[in-house]
Amino acid sequence: MFTEELKAFRRLGFRHVLLQALNFASVIASGLMIWKGLGLITNSESPIVVVLSGSMEPAFYRGDLLFLTNPAAERYHNGDITVYKVPGADIPIVHRVLETHDGKSRGSSPVVQRLLTKGDNNEVNDIELYRGLDYLERKHIVGKVRGFLPYIGYVTIAMNDFPQLKYALLGGLGLLALVQRE
Amino acid sequence: MARKKTANGAAQDISTATTSTDSIPSPPSPDRPPGPLSLPPLPGPREVVKVNNYSTTELKNACDDAVKRYLSRPELFQQNHQHTDVRLALGWLSVFVAGGTGLYGYKVEFEQSKPVVWVGLILYMLLTFTQTLYSYFIEGDIVFVGKRKTFSKRIITERITLSSRTIPVSSSSSNSTPITPPQYSLSLSYVRSTSANKSLLAKGKTQARAPYSRFFDAEGGMDGDAFERWVGEVVEEGMGGLPASKES
Repeated sequence: MFTEELKAFRRLGFRHVLLQALNFASVIASGLMIWKGLGLITNSESPIVVVLSGSMEPAFYRGDLLFLTNPAAERYHNGDITVYKVPGADIPIVHRVLETHDGKSRGSSPVVQRLLTKGDNNEVNDIELYRGLDYLERKHIVGKVRGFLPYIGYVTIAMNDFPQLKYALLGGLGLLALVQRE
Repeated sequence: MARKKTANGAAQDISTATTSTDSIPSPPSPDRPPGPLSLPPLPGPREVVKVNNYSTTELKNACDDAVKRYLSRPELFQQNHQHTDVRLALGWLSVFVAGGTGLYGYKVEFEQSKPVVWVGLILYMLLTFTQTLYSYFIEGDIVFVGKRKTFSKRIITERITLSSRTIPVSSSSSNSTPITPPQYSLSLSYVRSTSANKSLLAKGKTQARAPYSRFFDAEGGMDGDAFERWVGEVVEEGMGGLPASKES
């Protein structure tokens, strides 16, 4: 299957190989830049996340895709669904804000708040999950949920549980970009 | 179909295609460097090129590659890779900028990384935009830019530029007009001058088109000899001299 393509590469020379490799690399680069640009515009480190647990049922189920924004000047209120990351923990958690305690805005941060969260489907609030902290601060919040898409997140879950899928997908994409000429 | 006005017999007169601009008549034969048709074909079996007949992109790419291979033979023109190099340079630079920005964003915490990531993003967008503009406006349809220096009494410099595009299948509204198959349109501009461009010897612009079916068989194999002959004729016509044959 690849003999035709390999022959073509040898025939067309080094520049051609560089051009085809550039095709592949620029697809990856543009995807990366779109992700970073989205993060900058939404002021959120990870503007699209996947729900992994069932602690927010019946609002969100495992496998839902969530869209977040984190405007620096906006105060969060009770009832907002936020995604936060406790320092020392790898994975962010998506739960609802239970209590907010507002402070006066200081120089560096426009909004000063202390928050307590709880998952809708949990019995108790999240103090246990805070790893020693008594409350969350604004800097721990990744963003507030603005919208969601059901089921789509299962693709990411599958790729995390079966890493071979990730490599297969990347490999397939790479092959396609290398042998196709626009 | 473009019809060429052939000159009245004399080999010195230029035959011009209907789309060509004014051509300066070339001097008598001794001063004219050899054209591609006068070269013998390369020895050894030709590598078979096989493409998907139904994709005009593949057909055009195969023809473009054949043009480049044919005209960059040592006795013919030396290819100028400027357009390709600019595209490669801008493209790879933008990839590295993107990679660097991504790596920086990964290592450094989000709030602190924001200024640098902004810079990287803006730089990436500028590079991509510049590359797109260059490809669209400056490079355009060009597939081959070549130069040759020959020495006969004085140093003669020739510059040739070829562009190509696919003329798609024309859909006809009336039943009487036959549908033309996809065609390969080759445009050529040629300049011959003495050393340091002090005096212009010949200048020509030619355009020719031929249906892909003339060069590709039913399985998609390319008839390299026929294609090279056709390209040779177009180039010779642009160089001034042999009148090109009418296309089918």
